[in-house]
Amino acid sequence: MSGGERPGLLVAAIGNPDRGDDGVAPTVARRLRESAPAGVRVLDCSADVLELIDEWAGYTAAILIDASDPAGDPGRIRRLDLAGSLLPADFAQNSTHAFGLAETVELARALNQLPSRLVLYLIEGERFDVGAKLSPPVAAAVDRAVEAILAELSNIAAERAD
Amino acid sequence: MATRTINVNYIARVEGESSLRLDIRDGVVGNVRLSIFEPPRFFEAMLRGRRFDEVLDIVARICGICPIAYQMSGVAAIESLLGIEVEPPIHALRRMLYCGEWIESHSLHIAMLHAPDFLGYADAITMARDHGDAVRRALALKKAGNELLRLLGGREIHPVNVRIGGFYRLPSRAEFAPVVESLKRARDLAIATLRWAATFSFPDWTRDYEFVALRHPNEYPMNHGRIVSSAGLDIAAAEYEGEFLEHQVPYSTALHSTHRRGGAYLVGSMARYALNRDRLPAELRALAEEAGLEPVCRNPFKSILVRAVEVVYACGEALRLIADYQPPGRPFATAEPRAGIGYGCTEAPRGVLFHRYEIDREGEIVDARIVPPTSQNQGMMEEDLRQVATAGLDLDNEHLKAHCEQSIRNHDPCISCAAHFLTLNVNRA
Repeated sequence: MSGGERPGLLVAAIGNPDRGDDGVAPTVARRLRESAPAGVRVLDCSADVLELIDEWAGYTAAILIDASDPAGDPGRIRRLDLAGSLLPADFAQNSTHAFGLAETVELARALNQLPSRLVLYLIEGERFDVGAKLSPPVAAAVDRAVEAILAELSNIAAERAD
Repeated sequence: MATRTINVNYIARVEGESSLRLDIRDGVVGNVRLSIFEPPRFFEAMLRGRRFDEVLDIVARICGICPIAYQMSGVAAIESLLGIEVEPPIHALRRMLYCGEWIESHSLHIAMLHAPDFLGYADAITMARDHGDAVRRALALKKAGNELLRLLGGREIHPVNVRIGGFYRLPSRAEFAPVVESLKRARDLAIATLRWAATFSFPDWTRDYEFVALRHPNEYPMNHGRIVSSAGLDIAAAEYEGEFLEHQVPYSTALHSTHRRGGAYLVGSMARYALNRDRLPAELRALAEEAGLEPVCRNPFKSILVRAVEVVYACGEALRLIADYQPPGRPFATAEPRAGIGYGCTEAPRGVLFHRYEIDREGEIVDARIVPPTSQNQGMMEEDLRQVATAGLDLDNEHLKAHCEQSIRNHDPCISCAAHFLTLNVNRA
């Protein structure tokens, strides 16, 4: 990218740090704050994900991190490209009282308010008990998630520098 | 014999778990069963044995959309029990909080849940492609409501800042400045939303409801007032249980409420508006009239307009309260436990929310009772469904289903993220 200010990058971590493995994204976010390059804004989102539509406005690229439901492989990391395709059918929303991430992304897509690059890292959880720590396989995934996201951030930065 | 059974085993994304069954035999609607299994039943049991000063943090968990309502009825009940009179600025802050909750709850319902019914879309996401401005307005309104909740409640979902006797932390005047700017924009957006909703086509359909709402000497009701009805009821919160009965129905674990003298009744925005229109500012009454609202609206399909009026009101009221706000001398009055029973009734976005707590002299909860508005409206929603189904007997199942869905949404039974909440099974004999 040449001329003008280079737009920053947004990383948004979704999850409740007091609910066991739901806290994996905030844990990854904490690590990213220590190691992410300048120009990266790392945000925690523990409540109304609909507000993400406002948060990612103005960013051409954003990375979301969230825990996913247990599916027999705790700690497994999945990377989904949300800008290019609809969310997979099994990515159901689980909140009974608010718009979930899937609806938020699709609503933003309908409004033409998705960043041109939007990637979701899903880390499969095992337990979501109140007040619990991360379960061992999920805690072990934190380093890998941080590495993967840092690599993605530097790839984006390198592409922009070209 | 022609029999149609509309059987919905699970209504997703309602507050609690719900099902709907309509039996239609020989052109007559028979059983209408809307079953909602209310989570507050479990909360009442959980509250027993906890201390009185834990109540507000526990009841805030009952609902992610209207936690303030649960905190406000809870704080009213316990403060009345303990004989605590909070300072006027504390009242003002609590009313501001309620304004924030009305704004976000109503705005979400109007644009994301109810409007698609009128405009013929399956959900808000498909509607957003053609009505993006309306959805953006709703998102901005919800954000303005969230900002108020964050400032005064500590966070927008399951807030933590309200305490018995006041607040844990008071906002500074400077902290209000950005919220004021948001609310000013929000008020304009709310007026635009009302005018947008006024363009919808409404079925010519009315019901003779008994409306039940709070009424205050000079405020549009939120935190305070006597419980009144269009049939002449006028009681204090402590008399609620003498007038309204909860009873078990065989097809549901939820309790249905009836007025002892009048049967099913309606709480919520339509009831508030019908009984308190004279408490709205004159310019807002004029806006409501311009939008096509009669002084008493008996058409439940027009409830979307009443909610839109209340969003405009809540934005303006919050601005007025902030402009007049003078910080209190202290954030909270200390509370010493004493044995007794306290009653609280406030206006949740969906209507009257009743709480009763009995505590012992150590401050432990001995008994708790919570009657949410959705539970109170179940009987009336079933009556609405019966009439909607009867009027729509000639419709095919898909259209009949759509009318039934819309009829339920007319009363916003805490369906917070539902776009398409009924799955329909039809058995024909």
